[in-house]
Amino acid sequence: MMFLARISAGLLLWAFGFSLLYALHGFGCEGGWHEIRIAGGMLFRWVMVSVWVLLCIAGLAVIWWIRSVPAGFERRLGFASALVGCAATVVTGAPVTITSACV
Amino acid sequence: MNALNRHRALTTIWGSPQGWRGTATSVNHSDIGRRFIVAAFAFFAIGGVLAMLMRAQLATPGSAFVGPEIYNQLFTMHGSIMMFLFAIPMFEGLALYLLPKMLGSRDMAFPRLSAYGWWCYLFGGTILIVSLALGVAPDSGWFMYTPLSSKAYTPGINADVWLLGITFVEISAVAAAIEITVSILKVRAPGMRLDRMPLLAWYLLVTALMMIAAFPPLILASMLLEVERAFGWPFFDPDRGGSPLLWQHLFWLFGHPEVYIIFLPAAGVVSTVLPVMARTRILGYGWIVAALLALAFLSFGLWVHHMFTTGIPHMALGFFSAASALVAVPTALQIFAWLGTLWNGRPELKLPMLYLLGFFLIFVLGGLTGVMLAMVPFDWQAHDTYFVVAHLHYVLIGGFVFPMLAGAYYWLPHFTGRARVPKLGEAAFWLIFVGFNVTFFLMHLTGLLGMPRRIYTYPEEMGWTWLNLLSSVGSFAMAFGFALFAIDVALQIFMSRRSRRNPWGGSTLEWAMPIPASAYNFASQPHIEDRDPLATDPELGLRLARGEGYLAEARHGRRETMAVDITTGAVDHVVVLPGNTRLPIITAAVTGSFFLCLLFGFYWLALVPVAGVIALGWRWAWTLGWQEDLGRVSIRPGETALTHRETAGAPGWWGSVFLLVSDATLLGSLLFGYAFLWVVASNWPPPELIGGGIFIGLVAALSALAGTALTRRATSASKAGSTASASRAASAAMGAQAVVIAALMSVGITELPVPGSHAYAAICWTLLLYAAVHALIALLCAAFIRARVVSGHVSGTRTLEASVAQLFGDYAGAATLIVLLCVLAPAVLS
Repeated sequence: MMFLARISAGLLLWAFGFSLLYALHGFGCEGGWHEIRIAGGMLFRWVMVSVWVLLCIAGLAVIWWIRSVPAGFERRLGFASALVGCAATVVTGAPVTITSACV
Repeated sequence: MNALNRHRALTTIWGSPQGWRGTATSVNHSDIGRRFIVAAFAFFAIGGVLAMLMRAQLATPGSAFVGPEIYNQLFTMHGSIMMFLFAIPMFEGLALYLLPKMLGSRDMAFPRLSAYGWWCYLFGGTILIVSLALGVAPDSGWFMYTPLSSKAYTPGINADVWLLGITFVEISAVAAAIEITVSILKVRAPGMRLDRMPLLAWYLLVTALMMIAAFPPLILASMLLEVERAFGWPFFDPDRGGSPLLWQHLFWLFGHPEVYIIFLPAAGVVSTVLPVMARTRILGYGWIVAALLALAFLSFGLWVHHMFTTGIPHMALGFFSAASALVAVPTALQIFAWLGTLWNGRPELKLPMLYLLGFFLIFVLGGLTGVMLAMVPFDWQAHDTYFVVAHLHYVLIGGFVFPMLAGAYYWLPHFTGRARVPKLGEAAFWLIFVGFNVTFFLMHLTGLLGMPRRIYTYPEEMGWTWLNLLSSVGSFAMAFGFALFAIDVALQIFMSRRSRRNPWGGSTLEWAMPIPASAYNFASQPHIEDRDPLATDPELGLRLARGEGYLAEARHGRRETMAVDITTGAVDHVVVLPGNTRLPIITAAVTGSFFLCLLFGFYWLALVPVAGVIALGWRWAWTLGWQEDLGRVSIRPGETALTHRETAGAPGWWGSVFLLVSDATLLGSLLFGYAFLWVVASNWPPPELIGGGIFIGLVAALSALAGTALTRRATSASKAGSTASASRAASAAMGAQAVVIAALMSVGITELPVPGSHAYAAICWTLLLYAAVHALIALLCAAFIRARVVSGHVSGTRTLEASVAQLFGDYAGAATLIVLLCVLAPAVLS
């Protein structure tokens, strides 16, 4: 089971982050976060962008962590998975920066 | 013992009786795999005939060939049959037949489960086909969107047939997924590390894991819709707090991964057949495995691209559009690995290669139109037009049928032991290839001209006439091609000459045996030191037949096969598999009668088959195991290993883990539904929330914790050899679980509004019932352990059953706590 967890850690993080962003989007729009102004922007945007950036940092941390796995097929696979997971987090979360909030 | 005597002894142990008795009792993976393949092809033929009827209707404008009622049934059944009764079972059949042979094993991990899955599939598929013959087939589209499929707009049993029949078949699919996962992870030849596995095994492992996570949302959605139709619980009724969009979310949570679940096994066939046809090794083994993992995960982030036109906010559309475009990258990586393999090798244009070239062309075109549809503005224009019909057929026929036909010609000598008839297959290929492109390429244009899907006729002035006529002509040419393929296969089976062993020069283990294969696959199991074992040791098959491998001794009438450490492939233990039995067919028949009771509205009567399934499940588990220790058994000269009941991490334990993963996905989907309705649906917050129930909820929570702890206590006592203590703890665990069930029902009856009043009450009741059912399962597990401790089957060394019971006890406890938290939250916060 640890093998499966290690080789899919980066992608699991992406799946968690993707679900989290989509859930926050739903709760934020329902809760009216886009109508609350804070520090020159919408609370909704601040929350979404902050969470996305944190997820990207977590993705980088997974890449760093995978370096500690013993060399071999498992590490190569884990490394590839972590890279893909991090890149996917950057790309699929990027809409939080520019798209309209709850329209 | 010489090779002939060993063959006779092993055939006696692993073989099946002749005639109907053998048909009903066989659990052998080759038998079950062949049946899946033949039945799936029969369903494919039925689905194909339905497609021909549709094309006959659409060939000319204003056609009176069939009316709208029949046409609705035709396209619904065509889609449902092809997705649920053809594609998935065909891959399951291939996996069941091939996997043990490619992994150097003698059978799958759970032979009776394979057989049970087969019978469920056959009975469920039969229900659907009989409904078609009686004119009451499902008619709301293969994705059964509500409110069209709700009681108000589909009052007959048409939708019920789909919901119950498909759920029945899905049981078979989840059973197969668990079977495939555990078999690949544990039941391999010694020495076969994960990075020495054939690529097809990686593809099937990833596919099976995806099925474990993807099918529960559909099973849940089907159950919720059936409960709404039968009892009026309004999960999808917007007037009472439900949402039709919840159905779409749950359906596509399954539906989009399903596309990859269909594609990946076929891609595995490509990765297996292509290097043989190119006379080289596959390029980028590690990259392909990484791409597979990426595809498996990313494919779960695409489901909303089927819902771009439902009014979802732009930001959410952005998430899913980006993921939909991103998934093309790992797919392309595989395509480039295959092209690189061809470039590296010396390809031969044999018949399987012809189908692979057809696959390349068609699938790449389908992938490109997929990227077009992933872009939101284009999708808004093309949504629900024939452009989408063209795209999905390019992806599914290109990505599944063509590789499977390549695989069929590649492995048919293995199934039949015979060579194919020359030239007929090539003619079939050209008919299928040309017919397909004439049919579906033109549909892109028909779609861009605005023709919507699922219309039964159209007026002449729309300008779609010639395109439709040509599509119909092409489809009939394709049908002739498939008929020719069937004739070719029949000729090979019944008339052709004997094939030599390993006719293509393949390097994977399935060719290291005489063809057609014996019931036991390998007279002795190999030790694997290379990814292409036959390339490095062409005489391997002969050495294994001489008994120079593992488990060469046929002893005590036991079906034995090796199990290994998941990662390293080192010898772990010997699995003793169950023999032929009628239990699978009887259990499937009783399961089927449960679904039939629901279909015909005999809801109270349905409790009888439920009790029957529980009794048969008990019997199923009881017939295994033994009352004394076997100790270490010889596996080859100078080496011994324990049997699976006397060691940790046996296949049964792993199977339970993956079953619970699937179960947890169902609970997660239900919680998603709860949150979705709360956040998105209209008429929320509900007029009446839970009234209280914190004290009873606390009783349920504490009892759940006690039940879990007591089951753990029973397990640890049995491991310590203290049977009296284990028996007492198991009895107390049963009592605790009974209290949990009573307390959960009490919360619902005394504190929740009537479930038919609002979706809030309906979903809270569903959560409580979910927890109660799992408490009942934990209760039965504790009762079973108690009985097995008393009978002497569970001891300090034979702890498998206690470990499995502990898993179910732990899960029931966790599920109860989560459910109580969600249901009681409004009472606590108000």
